[in-house]
Amino acid sequence: MSRAATAYQVPPTPPHVRRGRVLAISLAVLSVVLLVVVLATMDLPTWQRVKAGLDRTMPPLWRGFTNPDPEVFPLAFRSMLQTLFMAVLGTLLGGLLAFGLSFLAARNLLGGTLQAGPGKALLVAIRTFPEILLAIIFVAAAGPGPTAGIMAMGIHSIGFLGKIFSDVIEGIDQGPMEAIRASGGNGLHVFLYAVVPQVLPEFASNVLYRFEINLRAATILGLVGAGGIGGPLIQRLQFRRWDEISMFLIVIVGFIVVVDFLSSTIRRRLV
Amino acid sequence: MAPEATTAVAVPRPPLVGRLRSLLTLGIVAAVVVVSFRQTDFDLLALFTGAADFWKFFGRLVPPLSEVGTDWGKYLPQLAKPLIETLQIAYVGTFFGTLLAMPLIFLASATTALDPVSMWVARVLLTILRSIPDLLWAAILVPILVVGPLPGAVALSLFSIGVLAKLGSETVEAIDPGPVEALRAAGAGRLATIIYAVVPQVAATMVSYILYVFEINVRASVIIGYVGAGGIGFTLQNRLNFFDYTGVGLIIVVIFAVVLVIDGLSVWARSRLI
Repeated sequence: MSRAATAYQVPPTPPHVRRGRVLAISLAVLSVVLLVVVLATMDLPTWQRVKAGLDRTMPPLWRGFTNPDPEVFPLAFRSMLQTLFMAVLGTLLGGLLAFGLSFLAARNLLGGTLQAGPGKALLVAIRTFPEILLAIIFVAAAGPGPTAGIMAMGIHSIGFLGKIFSDVIEGIDQGPMEAIRASGGNGLHVFLYAVVPQVLPEFASNVLYRFEINLRAATILGLVGAGGIGGPLIQRLQFRRWDEISMFLIVIVGFIVVVDFLSSTIRRRLV
Repeated sequence: MAPEATTAVAVPRPPLVGRLRSLLTLGIVAAVVVVSFRQTDFDLLALFTGAADFWKFFGRLVPPLSEVGTDWGKYLPQLAKPLIETLQIAYVGTFFGTLLAMPLIFLASATTALDPVSMWVARVLLTILRSIPDLLWAAILVPILVVGPLPGAVALSLFSIGVLAKLGSETVEAIDPGPVEALRAAGAGRLATIIYAVVPQVAATMVSYILYVFEINVRASVIIGYVGAGGIGFTLQNRLNFFDYTGVGLIIVVIFAVVLVIDGLSVWARSRLI
C-alpha cells in the first residue's frame, strides 16, 4: 500500500517551470491591479444611470432584433453590394501602389538594408496610420462619398501589401534570374520571366486576403461619411430603428461570411 | 547556320488550358473592376483635378510655422485627458476581452471541445463577434449604454473576444497531441488536461496574441469617440465640427504618435516572447 503511494509521487517542479509560473502569476496580479486603478479613474456612469438606459432601450431593442424588417432588405443588400465594390477598388488601388513601392523596399533588388530603409519606414508609417482617420480626413477635404472611402482603403492597404510584397520579393529564388541573364535576356526579360512568375501566386493570395480585411473596414467607413452601408446604418442607429438595424447586421454578417469563405477557398488553391 | 539558331531558341508556348484559365480569371477580375467603378462613381481623375484643394486642406491643418510652438503647445495639455481615456478604454477592452475569450477558446477548439454542438455554437458566436467591426459595435452600443467610455470599452471587449478566441482555438488545435493523450491515458480529467497539457504549449503564443489585440484596440480606441464612445476621437469630431483645423491637425499628429509608440513597444515585446 505505502509502496504504491510513493510510486505515484509527482516529481518536483523543474526550476524553469517554477520561474515561468511565478512570472505568469505576477503578470496576472499586475494586470488586475492596473485594471482596478484604470476603472477607478475612468469616467464611468453610475449603475443607476446604466440600468435606467438599459430599461429604456432593451425592450424595443429585443423586439427589433427578434423581428428584422424584411422591407429594408433590398436597401441593405444594395448598400452592402456598393460596400463590396468599394472594397474591390480600394484593394485594387492599394495593390497597384504597393506593387510599385514594394520594389523600393526590397533589400535584394536595391543592394542592401540601408537602401531599402526609407521604403520600409514609409510602409510602417502608412500601416500605422489608422484607416478610419484617413477616411475622416478625405471626407473633410474632398466631401463625403465612396471616393473618400476608396482612397482611404487604397492608401492604408499600401502599408500591409507593400510589406508582404517586398518580403516575397526578398525571398525569391535567384536561379531563374541568373539563367535568363546568362542566356542573354535583358532586365525586362528577367522581370517578366523570372520575377513575376515567382511572386504572382503569393501576391494574388495576399491581395485576396487584404480584400477580406477591406470588406470589413468598408462596412464602417460610412459611419464617418465615406460611403457604403455604414451611412444608412448610422442614420438608423440615430433613430434607434432596431428592426431595420438588425436586418442590416444580418446582411453585413452574411456577406462577410460568404465572401470570407469564397476568398479563402481561392487562396488555398493559389498557394 | 543562322536559321538553325533561330529555331533552336523558339520558346515553347504554355499549355492551352493554362492560358484559357488565366484569360478567364483576368476577364472576371476586369469585369468586377468595371462594375465597381460604375457602382461607386469612383472618380479616379478627381485624384488629380482635386489635388489642389486637397493640399490646401492639408495646409490648413498646420498653423503657420512661426506659431506652431505657441498654437500647438497651448492646445496639447488639453488633449492629455481624452488621450488617457483612450488608453483606458483600450486596456479595459483588452482585459475583459481576454478574460471572456479564455473559456471560448477551449469550447471552440476541436482538441478540447465538450461536444460538437457546443463547439459549433461557440464558433458561430465568434464569427458574429468578429464580423461586426469594433467601430460598428461602438455605434450600436452607444445608444444602449450611456454616451462615454463605457460603450467603447464594451465594444472593444466584444470584438477582442472574437479575434482572440479564434486565434487561440486555432493555436490549441495545432499543438502537439502527445501530452494531451498521455494525460488522458493516465486518467486526468478535462480541466487537468487543459492546465497541464494545453496551457504550457500555448501560453507564450497567447500572450503574443493578447498584445496584438491590444494594438488593434489602441487603434480602434483613438477613433470610437467619433460615434460617441469616449476618448480622443470625440475631441477630434468636436474640433472638426468647429472647423478648428489646426486643432484637428494636432490631434492627428498625437494619434499617429500614440499608435506608433504602442505598436513599436508591442512588436518589440512580441519579438522577445517567441
